[in-house]
Amino acid sequence: MTNGFSRRSFAAGAFGAGALAAGIIGKSGASLAQGTPKRGGTLVATWGGGEPQACYVPAGGGSSPTFSSSKLFERLGRRTMEGAFEGELAEAWKPAADFKSYAIKIRKGVKFHDGKDMTVDDVVYSIGEIWKKYAAAAALTDFAGVEAPDSDTVVVTFNKPVPEFFFSSLLCGNVNYVVPKHVYAGSDPVTNPANNSPTGTGPWKFKEWVRGSHFEYVRNDAYWRKDMPYLDRLIIRYVRDPAGRAAAMEAGDIHIGVFNPVAPPDIKRLTGTGKFVATSKGYEESVWSTSFEVNMRNPIFAKREVRQAMFFAIDRNLIAKTVYYGYARPGTSPIFSPNKEFFTADTFKTAFDPKKAAALLDAAGHPKQKDGKRFTLNLLAAGWFAENGKIGAIVKQGLEDVGVGINLTVPDRPSSIKRIYTDYDFDVAISNQANPSEPVPSTTQYYTSDGIKKGVPFRNASGFHTPEVDALVEKIKVETDPAKRKALVVEFQKITTLECPNLPLVELESITVASTRVQNHSNDPNYLAASWHDIWLAS
Amino acid sequence: MARIEIPRFEFVARFARNRGALVGAVLIFLVALTAVLAPVLFPTDPLRIVGAPELWPGEDPDFPLGTDSLGRDILSMIVHGARATLLIGLCASAVATLIGVTIGAIAGYFGGWVDEIVMRTAELFQTIPNLIFVLTIVVILGSTLANIVIAIGIVSWTSIARMTRAEFLALRDREFVQACRAMGMGNGGIILGEILPNALPPVIVLSSLVVAGAILFESAVSFLGLGDPNVASWGRLVGDGRQLIRSSWYICAIPGVAIMVTVLCLNLIGDGLNDALNPKLRDR
Repeated sequence: MTNGFSRRSFAAGAFGAGALAAGIIGKSGASLAQGTPKRGGTLVATWGGGEPQACYVPAGGGSSPTFSSSKLFERLGRRTMEGAFEGELAEAWKPAADFKSYAIKIRKGVKFHDGKDMTVDDVVYSIGEIWKKYAAAAALTDFAGVEAPDSDTVVVTFNKPVPEFFFSSLLCGNVNYVVPKHVYAGSDPVTNPANNSPTGTGPWKFKEWVRGSHFEYVRNDAYWRKDMPYLDRLIIRYVRDPAGRAAAMEAGDIHIGVFNPVAPPDIKRLTGTGKFVATSKGYEESVWSTSFEVNMRNPIFAKREVRQAMFFAIDRNLIAKTVYYGYARPGTSPIFSPNKEFFTADTFKTAFDPKKAAALLDAAGHPKQKDGKRFTLNLLAAGWFAENGKIGAIVKQGLEDVGVGINLTVPDRPSSIKRIYTDYDFDVAISNQANPSEPVPSTTQYYTSDGIKKGVPFRNASGFHTPEVDALVEKIKVETDPAKRKALVVEFQKITTLECPNLPLVELESITVASTRVQNHSNDPNYLAASWHDIWLAS
Repeated sequence: MARIEIPRFEFVARFARNRGALVGAVLIFLVALTAVLAPVLFPTDPLRIVGAPELWPGEDPDFPLGTDSLGRDILSMIVHGARATLLIGLCASAVATLIGVTIGAIAGYFGGWVDEIVMRTAELFQTIPNLIFVLTIVVILGSTLANIVIAIGIVSWTSIARMTRAEFLALRDREFVQACRAMGMGNGGIILGEILPNALPPVIVLSSLVVAGAILFESAVSFLGLGDPNVASWGRLVGDGRQLIRSSWYICAIPGVAIMVTVLCLNLIGDGLNDALNPKLRDR
């Protein structure tokens, strides 16, 4: 969902928190403590990637425009750190008895930055024209229509029953904003010039974009949350490389950096000064993983045992420890372990076991030849994160140790996307995924036949599909009973881990680094995409 | 025949008179020896993870130069890297020399519209920033050792072509060439048998400098992460260590010094060759 990250962000590839970070995170409690908020001041923020292509991209456009636009626009709902859903621009929503429609009660007294009231018309327009066509097109496949029966209710209808968790997640989706109809109606939303100076309802008003440098946002004095925001100005600054960000933070020029702003060794150095805290909180709804995919178009992978052997040959603990400095943990399932709703530990495990890998390959009819090799594969490590290349070296070594010859390539971002997702020009690949808690469609589309979309990045590139999994995902889509739905998703995890077409090697822990002066941060499960209405700066 | 012969002992003496060149040659000989003996000294794959990551030089006697961010032996990678780096330098220089001499000889010998076309093309190549050109070719062709060699050869031939052309322009109307023409020798025979041997000395000097340039290009390509990931080269080691420059700077510094020394030595050898081969400076 948030996979279209910037080319430059590869340099920021520094992740997570683990053993090393335990002490650092312990300290972060102080930053989250509630003091008496102080009014005024300017906060300068950055993130571990580059400048966006536009301030707001209706289809999402990756983490960078999500970061810049989420301070200006707001969503109907949000998820709390405890996992509950609560209204933002909506006051509440509830399903009809057949779960084929949902009624949303809209918050009153909310104004856009240009002074016009936000009404149900804006919500109807946003859902019908922006979400359906751009922001949530992959999720809204069974969307039937949206209408406003009265001036504070919006009803969304579907062709099939829709689970409540799915619908609530939709309202909190990364770029599922309420946009002003009077600005977007009648134009092509993708090319509307307003995308570079958005008019939203958020706590921050767009003031200026100095390209190559920063965005300047000012306080929205008419914001619907009383007395908020506390700060006068919010600056989002872009610095190309992690070392530069670390230096700017040390100099006091940048107060907070989200999504791995600095290299792992610098995290320790910065927090060691006592002037910074680092936390892995705020990424619960946007967990990143490094995945390993096998290309089913290669007949060698027709046998499931061969696919499993690939995973048994890779030392995931070594990857977590050396490549990510402990800021990662071995992945076991396509649903990531922080996912409280759907994760299960009861899956087929492929933990590092070279002997088992060799035995599986022998049994599958691939004995070692005279040269010590069983067969040779092309391994593509996507070069958008520097870490992927290093993982490529570890995977190569692991597979070569069980007699699989490996030709490793580490192409740059555009070539990697083309070779993995358009040309399917790889035997095995190392890529990345970022998924929210709701598995449909972000996670499931990697395993279904309708997820095989040539040319669309971050979909089913392995080519794996079975009628069984397709049918199961259809059931997950329409099952409205939470307990039954969880059982189906558990089933999904058991099948996919057994089949091994595409599984996470490691789950990454993203890190936010902030000055100890910054208060009320990292208090949203997808903090990069939160509105930051309650952040403030202590003197 | 008409070839301006330099007696062999005199060549060596002149080369050795340049102390810097002598030191350079000795060091390059040592580097080459290491490269040749690499599989004997370190029989295992240099890219294997063999120890704890980020061990400082001297911290563990098993790894005298320490280990990199993944726990690979830096000494083993430096030794095997010498092989890759020298191989790339020599092959790229050979490619550039082959292209450059061929084109320069044709342009210089025939002159006229052939010269115009060839030299304008060369200028076209010269106007494109070299490093960006190399990166573009590598990205299009793919990051393998052979493609990197070809890419460096393609951007490095122009100076050799210009030098060869200038030599040919100076030599093509000399008496011995006219004598050959009068005897009815063909163009090919004159170019290859008569003019080229006399035009070669400055070209050889230039080629030795192209080797140094090629090593730098390969280092830059690998540093940017576009090198061949299956090969241990010095530039790649510098690139891998970049993220850790504030904490474990030795990962960048060790291969960096190796690159610097090698390139410096190649330049010194180039100077020495110039002294020994350039007839204009013979009795300086």
